[in-house]
Amino acid sequence: MGQTFSMKNKIIFLLLMVFHFVPIYAQNAEPDFMRSVGKIYVVVATIASIFIGIVILLFLLERRISKLEKQLNNHE
Amino acid sequence: MIKHWWKILSVVIILYTFIAGLLMPLKPGITSISPARAKAGETISMKVAGYNTHFTQAGKEVKAWLTLDSDAKKKMALSAGKIQAISDQELIIDFTLPPALPVKAKVKDCSLLLDNPIDGSSILPSAIFISQDKLVGDTAGWGDLPKKSLHQATGMKFPFRNILSETIRNLFYHVPLWFGMMLIFLVAMIYSVLYLRSSDPLHDNKATSLVVSGTLFGLLGLVTGAIWAKNTWGQYWSWDIKQNMSAIAMLIYLAYFVLRQSFEDRERKARISAVYNIFAFAALIPLLFVIPRLTDSLHPGNGGNPGFGGEDLDNTMRLVFYPAIIGWTLFGFWLAELYYRIANLRDQQEESEYIFDKGIQKI
Repeated sequence: MGQTFSMKNKIIFLLLMVFHFVPIYAQNAEPDFMRSVGKIYVVVATIASIFIGIVILLFLLERRISKLEKQLNNHE
Repeated sequence: MIKHWWKILSVVIILYTFIAGLLMPLKPGITSISPARAKAGETISMKVAGYNTHFTQAGKEVKAWLTLDSDAKKKMALSAGKIQAISDQELIIDFTLPPALPVKAKVKDCSLLLDNPIDGSSILPSAIFISQDKLVGDTAGWGDLPKKSLHQATGMKFPFRNILSETIRNLFYHVPLWFGMMLIFLVAMIYSVLYLRSSDPLHDNKATSLVVSGTLFGLLGLVTGAIWAKNTWGQYWSWDIKQNMSAIAMLIYLAYFVLRQSFEDRERKARISAVYNIFAFAALIPLLFVIPRLTDSLHPGNGGNPGFGGEDLDNTMRLVFYPAIIGWTLFGFWLAELYYRIANLRDQQEESEYIFDKGIQKI
């Protein structure tokens, strides 16, 4: 149990210190992308997710139609 | 074309909500100030960041006050010293704080009130905390709130709310999904009742297709709500009572599809799922409208206070919000109609297959 730290421990300690302070630094920095320009991108993300949801429903609808088409073709 | 007028109407209304809801500007507001605390008797120079403001343009007409509630009814105000506009969005205001607060408290929160003829008046609640050592409560230096000289913002604008800021527009895209879902589920429930009375498979198909589009709206309501919550409440899921209850409601409706899959017989499937659908709607009402009001919630209009309104929904927003409900509801009925037509075709196909098979057996 020596009093001195090895080089590796020192580096780990240094990295821990650095990353420990990153969140504190980030709080003082500019707001992130979603919160910039009065948080308008939150509205953009909302509208985009509604669009994606409708597209998923259309995709399911298309699968049903294809299945039906296949059944009809098998009979003829 | 004439038969489909309501589909065209829904698209026109939704387009209107996109254009009007996104292009209408917000009223001017105050986003942040520094410092956040001061001591009585000090002279502070306060940095103010505004949003959609016109400080340079208003020039010397900009006025500022620190206001506080001296008791339950009375508001007192301290007018500013020198006001310097750095840009349209930045101000530096000098305040000379009197040696004592007008209240007998160690710390008191003060709001910042700004006023100019172009932007009207705007307020940042609890902007600065002022502390004092002696608990005297001296009103010297503090005056009355200059209510009469304040200006009103003109023009069609959405209200500026702190924390919300531009996301107040989500009211037109998140809330109508839930309103639409309720109406769609209501009609689905009515068709389930009709099915039980008539045993007409067309009614069953109508109910099922409406549940499909209603569930889509509900799931989208959860997703859009989570995105909104992340950037205003801080987390995607805050275990808020209304979030939890609506998630439970969505699970109940997802189980409807699982239930339908578990029956082979067409009539049994239709009858049992119709009964389930009626009970699901009966569960939806307390889950969304009763339980969230019994406890505290982050959602507005909860915790004993029914409905939202006041400053969260002013008349400008109603112009977009109510059409959005109609537009999205009609759109949901359109989606349901597509599913309904396919379900009918599938039924016809299965029936003809059944007759075909019977014919082969006879031969």
